[in-house]
Amino acid sequence: MNSVTNSLKLSLGRTATHIDRLPLFTRVVLVVMVTLEVLRVLFPRSWWDLEEWGRLEPDVMGIATMYRTNTYPLIHTSAIHLILNLIGLTPLLERFEASHGTLTSLALFVGPLSTGPALIYVVLERFILRMNTPIVGASIWGFLLFGSEAIRHHKVTPYVVIAGKPTIPTWTAPIAVLFVAALLLPGSSFLGHAIGLGVGYVYGLGYLKFLSPPDKILRWIEGKLNLRVRLPHFVSVDQKTYGRFGVLPLTNLAPQPVVAPATVMQLRRDPRLLKLPPYISLLCIVIGVAWLFLLPLDQYSRRTYISENALLPGQVHTYFSGSDQNVFRAYKHEVNELVGKDNTAINDKLEPIIKGLGLKTARQNFTYHAAGQTFAGENLYAILQAPRGDATEAIVLVAAWENVRHEVNRNGVPLALTLLRYFKRWSLWSKDIILLLTPDSIAGPQAWVDAYHDAHDPARVASLPLKSGLLQGAIAIDYAQEGRFESLHVVYDGVNGQLPNLDLINSIVNIAGGQMGIGVALQEMWHHNNGYQDRLSTMLRGMLKQGFGLASGPHSSFIPYHVDAVTLRPFGEGWQDEMALGRVVEGSFRSLNNLLEHLHQSFFFYLLMQRERFVSIGTYLPSAMLVAANFTIMAIALWVKSGQPASKTEKKAEKEVSTPSAPTTVERDLFLPLGVVALIQSLSVLPLYLFNHALETALTLFFIVFTLLPSFLAHFLNNFPSTPTTPQQYDLIRSFSLLLLGMFLSTLATLNFSLALLVGVLAVPLTFVPNSISPNSGLPSRVLATILLNVFNPTAVLVGLGLVYGWFGGGGVDAAAGADVSNGVKWMTGGVWGVLREAAVGWHVCGTYSPVVVWCVWWPAWVAAQVVVLGKKEVKTGSEVPREKKDA
Amino acid sequence: MDGAKVTPGKTAGLYAGAAVLRLAIFTLLPALPDLLTGRVEISTPVTSFKRLQEGLFLYNHNVSPYDGGVYHQAPLFLPLFSLLPSFSSLPIFTYLLYIAVDLLSASALWKIADSGEAGSSALFTSPRREKRWSGFVIAAAFLFNPFTIATCIGRSTSVFTTCAILHAIAKAVSGAPFGAMIALSFASYLSMYPLLLLPPLVLLAYDRQRPSRATKSALQFGAVCATTVAGVVAVLFQVSYLLTGSWEFLPSTYGVQLTLSDLAPNAGLWWYFFIEMFDSFRSFFLAVFWLHLSSYVGGLTVRIRRQPLVVLTLLLGIFAIFKPYPSISDSALFLALVPLYRHVVPLMRYTFVSAAVILYATCLGPAFYHLWIYAGSGNANFFYAITLVWNLGQSLLVCDLMFAVLRDEWEVERPEMVGKEIRQI
Repeated sequence: MNSVTNSLKLSLGRTATHIDRLPLFTRVVLVVMVTLEVLRVLFPRSWWDLEEWGRLEPDVMGIATMYRTNTYPLIHTSAIHLILNLIGLTPLLERFEASHGTLTSLALFVGPLSTGPALIYVVLERFILRMNTPIVGASIWGFLLFGSEAIRHHKVTPYVVIAGKPTIPTWTAPIAVLFVAALLLPGSSFLGHAIGLGVGYVYGLGYLKFLSPPDKILRWIEGKLNLRVRLPHFVSVDQKTYGRFGVLPLTNLAPQPVVAPATVMQLRRDPRLLKLPPYISLLCIVIGVAWLFLLPLDQYSRRTYISENALLPGQVHTYFSGSDQNVFRAYKHEVNELVGKDNTAINDKLEPIIKGLGLKTARQNFTYHAAGQTFAGENLYAILQAPRGDATEAIVLVAAWENVRHEVNRNGVPLALTLLRYFKRWSLWSKDIILLLTPDSIAGPQAWVDAYHDAHDPARVASLPLKSGLLQGAIAIDYAQEGRFESLHVVYDGVNGQLPNLDLINSIVNIAGGQMGIGVALQEMWHHNNGYQDRLSTMLRGMLKQGFGLASGPHSSFIPYHVDAVTLRPFGEGWQDEMALGRVVEGSFRSLNNLLEHLHQSFFFYLLMQRERFVSIGTYLPSAMLVAANFTIMAIALWVKSGQPASKTEKKAEKEVSTPSAPTTVERDLFLPLGVVALIQSLSVLPLYLFNHALETALTLFFIVFTLLPSFLAHFLNNFPSTPTTPQQYDLIRSFSLLLLGMFLSTLATLNFSLALLVGVLAVPLTFVPNSISPNSGLPSRVLATILLNVFNPTAVLVGLGLVYGWFGGGGVDAAAGADVSNGVKWMTGGVWGVLREAAVGWHVCGTYSPVVVWCVWWPAWVAAQVVVLGKKEVKTGSEVPREKKDA
Repeated sequence: MDGAKVTPGKTAGLYAGAAVLRLAIFTLLPALPDLLTGRVEISTPVTSFKRLQEGLFLYNHNVSPYDGGVYHQAPLFLPLFSLLPSFSSLPIFTYLLYIAVDLLSASALWKIADSGEAGSSALFTSPRREKRWSGFVIAAAFLFNPFTIATCIGRSTSVFTTCAILHAIAKAVSGAPFGAMIALSFASYLSMYPLLLLPPLVLLAYDRQRPSRATKSALQFGAVCATTVAGVVAVLFQVSYLLTGSWEFLPSTYGVQLTLSDLAPNAGLWWYFFIEMFDSFRSFFLAVFWLHLSSYVGGLTVRIRRQPLVVLTLLLGIFAIFKPYPSISDSALFLALVPLYRHVVPLMRYTFVSAAVILYATCLGPAFYHLWIYAGSGNANFFYAITLVWNLGQSLLVCDLMFAVLRDEWEVERPEMVGKEIRQI
């Protein structure tokens, strides 16, 4: 890769100087050709058909049209024709002029070398072949010059040597080109080229020397007109270098100092080049973040649309109303009786009701342990077998007894029961309908979905006694508020930032908004005016939620199994009643019922910013990738830097020490940096394990330990090796840890964009941490770096999160956090404790992997940066790279 | 560590450490082996342990193991694994077998490293040969390479091939051509493609013959070697025939590799091509792909005649990229041999780039596979794109190593060019 760009630069540089040095006649010819082409294009056959006028057409040749024997090489049929000829002709013509002089070239090419081949061509074409093919173009000159060059080259190197034997005579090269040109370029004149080549051979062999004007005359003309002074780039008779290019330069063994490569090489070694990457990194970050803020604009986001035609949302009439309201009231009465009872009692009461509808029911026990707590319960579910289906597909209706905020789902459960009873009366279902009643919103659905897909741990979660087909979709009802509602809140974030297919959300928006006239809100943006700010905050809220990766409702557990699911939660004071929500669910189920295959048409990766506006992955991914790329860029830069001599004072010593083969790169000592990075990386398993398996009371203690640990670790690592650590090794430590960080984050960006972006942005200071023992890092920059590192690190961010969490009241925090401490401290510790507990629960119940990212990706990178910042000054500035003995 | 004294205690410590690490993974993380066995990067249709168990079940129930088209591995695995106590009741013996094979491979690698063949062969002595790693370091790099460990934990049967190839090279280096040929025959019997290593291996064995009983004529030597390989392979085939009672195993094992009839995704480049291909072009492109793979043998053997071990290394790298069913175990074998060329590392130019590309691909591969197969939000192109990157990284490494070795040779020929910047065109 390097060599490609390098050679590209090289050839660009060469081209520039090459064009700069073109001699006069060549320039004039080129300019004339281009001008004629421009004229031809500008006036296409309007008043003067240039091609018609100047081409060499055998049949019209006569005394009056003799000018054509001179004009035809300067005219071309098209721009591509011109460019091809220019590329071929320029170097040859330039070489000819340089070796013969400008005046001679002028005389020969205006005279015999144009007219000669032209006349031969006309004679052959007209009298022997009896055809009339007009020709234009400078390729005839090209072949002529090529032929003469080939003869000259042949005199020096007669044969191409293959496998030790002289096999192919070099003068045949143009013939091969002739045939290739005839084959590859349609419409090229083989005869014209061949004649040009033949004349070239004859000229090359020296039989046409007599045509060139004698030197004496030329010298006289030059002297009289003082051409050498007046004309730039003029090649005089005396200046001409008969032997300068005596042969093609490939046999020119004497190495000529070429200017361009040297400058490119110098550029490559220029120390200023190494100063660039931090700025490129910064640019990446700035663009990456700015990108995000552009997304809500109309130009970057798109209107949602239904992609799967089979869904037909809102196309059916919904009949759920009327007498069903009475059924709903009856069920609600039953459910109200059960509030406050334990899970088994509730199920004991509800199961007969469902059985009474004539459905099969089953129960499932589960027990989860996380952060010292136990989440146990019993799921109740029923299967309505499709009258028109074969039990290969199913749709799930979920009603959790308690929602995520631990409110009793007073209207949701009876509504789900009513709907099931109503659905039972219809014969149009082609997919089974499963009603799932879970005791809570997170653990219950998770246990059920796991067991449904046989992915459960039998020790904690019981297997399902009753199953149906493949789950096609799930809708959860979270209707805890009493009374009528105004709008619907659609919750769609799955575990680990996975999302349901956009078509499902679009269908519900369409059914609720279009058919029922119910507004839809997203991401707790209760009032959305569709302006820039509201869009942005909807999007950022969504990203935060996806970044945390926690379950946001009963639907979240379904999404990792590729079952598209949402939770519907009514909110506000309005005039919509339970029946309206029921009709929305009915309409959605009818749409899902239509599906012929799994939802796959629309997007799985998107950011919603309003119910009808979104951006898809192609538009937003670059921003996370750019942020991740900044780490990789810095890693590469540090690697390159570590290979260069440490500083100017040491340069001389380095030169003596370093191996003669590699003057530009110093041997890198990889073992210590690799060892340190590997050690830190493997240590990161420790917090991950401890935070997920510790008792809840120990979480805060561990947190304090791991907040302080990195500094100790940095101190320890910096003092442990007996040999002094060189700046190079510190650079390499940073390089490796940044490389790993960039790698993990770009991988993560494909799985959970929001988390990758969040961690990436928060880890930005790691890019700019100065190397403490590099000579140019002053005290201020080190202090700044230390402050930055300690503000933007996993533990500090967790404390911040804890504050927010405590502020907005994480449920149950006050009960367990120490009651004897003052309110503020309780807040903090309680908040952090709450966050850690949520993370542990997410880890054990839902399989949230955000803790892995925080502890095994971000934390080690931070520790490595700490090691570098707190690195001790080198004791001796020895230039030799110390041999590492620790790893031996 | 260069030239540091390696005591027997250190040797034992290394092997014990590697064995304990593997055993610990097997016993402490009981879910991991099955997870890794299911990964397409580790288990290919021709090396999968799951398929081996299927074949074993059929074999133990007196059904032809090749019925049903699941088992595509050599027949001799079956008696070997049925001799072990049943995997389902006592898996520890299978674990121990796999660990032992890894340790045997490491010891062969150690021998190769200690012979110094990489730095100074019979016809060429590198001026940089002093800078090298001891067998200890190289064996440790092999044993603790995550790819090697993953292959061992995933119980892919390619570890047996790896072991046989390394032993073939070790025997050839230590002047035992007969042993080398037998080991190569076993490797070829197990996986077929190692047969392509025959020419450079014969040259290596020829160069390293013991002076006492050296054959002068290279042709004669080559003929004897080829005959040995043919003989041993014939015997193995005969034994296989006696075991399974038919020649069915030939099309089911080697035929599958030759015709790529199982298109399960893997880390290589073939499967996607042949999924996309129209049937009428299939045989033509099969021929082209195989011709491409085997064409490297002749070219490299002739060009780097003076360092046959380099040819073997480069070929193993090329096989890890271009063979029909490559897995990370092939890459692990190649990466095991690369550290032998410590002396030319200063001449390599893209070490960081290729290492970074390989690392990136290692990370992104499983992620993209997950998006394709489990999350359903990606498609086959995701995974194929990342296998392209993975193979790009490996080919960068192969090319870079080749460049460094050639430059090393060239600088001996042209001492005035030492240290000069050159361009590859």
